[in-house]
Amino acid sequence: MNKKIILIGLNHRTAGVDVREKFALTDVEAFEKGLMAHCSVHECMALSTCNRVEIIAIAKNVPEREVLDSLIQYWANACNKSPELLVDNIYQYTDLEAVNHVFTVACSLDSMVMGEPQILGQLKDAYRAAVAKGTAKTIVNRLLHKSFSVAKRVRTETAIASSAVSISYAAVELAKKIFGDLEGTRAMLVGAGEMAELAATHLLRNGVQDVIIANRTFSRAKELAESLGGEPIQIENMSDRLHEVDIVISSTGSPVAVIKAKDVKNVLKKRKNKPMFFIDIAVPRDIDPDVNSLDNVYLYDIDDLTEVVEENMAQRHEEASKARAVVELETEIFGHWLNSLELQPTIVDLVDKIEDIAQRELNKTLRKIGPVDEKTRNALKTLVLSVAHKSLHEPICFLKRRTQEEGSAERFIDMARRMFNLDEENIPPDAHLDRKLDTCSSEDIENLIDVSKNKEQ
Amino acid sequence: MGLFESLHICIIALYALGTILFLIGVTTNNEKLKRIAVWLAVAGFTLNTADLALVLGRDSTALNAGKFYFNILAWCVLALYFFFWWRLRLEFLAITALPLALLLFVTSMALGGVRVIMPPELTALFFGLHIGSLVLTLGVLMMAFGSGIAFIYYNRKIKTKAGLSSIGKDVPSLDKFDTVNKWAVTLGFPLFTLGLFSTFFWYLIAPGKQFSWDIMKIGSLVVWFLYAFLFHQRVVLGWRGRKPAILAIWVFAGMCISLVHHTITFRAMP
Repeated sequence: MNKKIILIGLNHRTAGVDVREKFALTDVEAFEKGLMAHCSVHECMALSTCNRVEIIAIAKNVPEREVLDSLIQYWANACNKSPELLVDNIYQYTDLEAVNHVFTVACSLDSMVMGEPQILGQLKDAYRAAVAKGTAKTIVNRLLHKSFSVAKRVRTETAIASSAVSISYAAVELAKKIFGDLEGTRAMLVGAGEMAELAATHLLRNGVQDVIIANRTFSRAKELAESLGGEPIQIENMSDRLHEVDIVISSTGSPVAVIKAKDVKNVLKKRKNKPMFFIDIAVPRDIDPDVNSLDNVYLYDIDDLTEVVEENMAQRHEEASKARAVVELETEIFGHWLNSLELQPTIVDLVDKIEDIAQRELNKTLRKIGPVDEKTRNALKTLVLSVAHKSLHEPICFLKRRTQEEGSAERFIDMARRMFNLDEENIPPDAHLDRKLDTCSSEDIENLIDVSKNKEQ
Repeated sequence: MGLFESLHICIIALYALGTILFLIGVTTNNEKLKRIAVWLAVAGFTLNTADLALVLGRDSTALNAGKFYFNILAWCVLALYFFFWWRLRLEFLAITALPLALLLFVTSMALGGVRVIMPPELTALFFGLHIGSLVLTLGVLMMAFGSGIAFIYYNRKIKTKAGLSSIGKDVPSLDKFDTVNKWAVTLGFPLFTLGLFSTFFWYLIAPGKQFSWDIMKIGSLVVWFLYAFLFHQRVVLGWRGRKPAILAIWVFAGMCISLVHHTITFRAMP
């Protein structure tokens, strides 16, 4: 490998929020351009979120230490902070360790809430920006594309992201276990606290039809109703409207229970026993715990929901070991690809592939023409192999010339590998949304050759 | 081995394999196994249909003899299961539908069904109304039984805050289980009423038959009253969830006892 992958970064584990905010990148695109201009790197990409800053760079043929120092120096200067403080709080990885780290981040194994999906979206955004600015080239392209597919594989093959790990998400999951599809259900917020608002947002996103907001301060209820698209009411009218809703989220600051079991009993009669789900996230609690003993009524308070979240978190940690095994395996595969970016292994792969095709075609022809003597067989074999090798002379010559040019070796080798599909990748027909769904079977290609030749003549 | 024997062995094998795979699929949370089990049930059901068609094709009087009522019942259970699967996406009910279909099919092989001697002119009416509606009722009650047990179990899990992971990711919602109960009540009760009272009516019109109260008829009527209570509470008073689930289990148990009692009585005195 003549190009080194270097990754430096800091996250919630290595640096406190006071440090993270100092070294957060406000203008990532300008930062990437600056890195390309001032550091010895061929390619780079930066990611800056509230929990982490990551800089991935592909170093030129200069000593690793030199590149690392220049990256740290440039980062510290860009943030107007001391490089010493940065060095104390960052991690540094090179080559396959860096690859492993990128995959780990993409799979959300390194996130504060393991398995959360946001990091993958943030990584995709950062990559898109780097591609648009031209700072992501062959290796970063491949690394990021691979990291997205590894993340997808981990999500499919493990249960790392399958369970709720936030209070509001747990509430939605529980509601789905009671009502099934939340389409057409109605919710009520009793008290307009921040957590209740978050839970209501989650419910609305998951199909809840509309929300009634009952609050002591009507102006706040109105304000929240406008942002959520619900109906504001005075808290005094809450009991008259309770029978209309399926889900109740309560978060008032009241020192006594706002909703009592006997009231809910009457509400149930009005609703003809249609189930109700009460979420009490207030402390002290707003809803009489006896409500849970009524048939068709389910009550979860903040501790119950926290328990659900903690249990799910523990389950995610168990799944993490499976996910790490996938990451290890994919890192190894990526390592093979990195090594293949040299000219020599590519030539060997090219020749192997074309010899394999020649041999298969020869066997087909021999089957068609029937038995032939040894001499004819050898002559035919020499012929097909000679045609195969000769057809590779020009492509190999081209690659050899290009790899002598500064900065273009990987690009052309990677292109040749993809053109001849040397890594035996299966590209699904819908891999490129902006392209036509053309099939690439042997028959199709044969037809295309015939049509093209006929047109030419 | 003749065609029928081979067919029966295939049906039993498919139902048994489907049952085992579905149970393993549920315990290990393996979606693929569950899917395979359902497709095995589809294959078994297809063969079961072919078996019934062949029997009737060969001898149309087979229905009069009522030799294969348990076989029809097994077929009916799966037909209703597929209906619920289609309408409610309730694959989960295979947990009761498959073992019950297997049990009924094996029973039909072992017992040969109920033998009823009927006057030929009333056969179609009697079979169509009485047996047909009772078979369908039993089918929907089996679904209600399965969903009732599932409802009680998962309702308890949610009420006692056992956690989402212990409930299982792919387990249907309580509302879906309750919907099965609702359908079993609204469809099953009129069918059962039709099935039960058509036999009383048959006694009135059948020559040489005298209606008299016996333990069999009283037993059937007790089950009907229990079912009527469930129907009233569910449809008129709006019962939902746990209570109708428990009642449906009792009605199903009553129906099973009544069926076994009928079988024994008719075998001893056709």
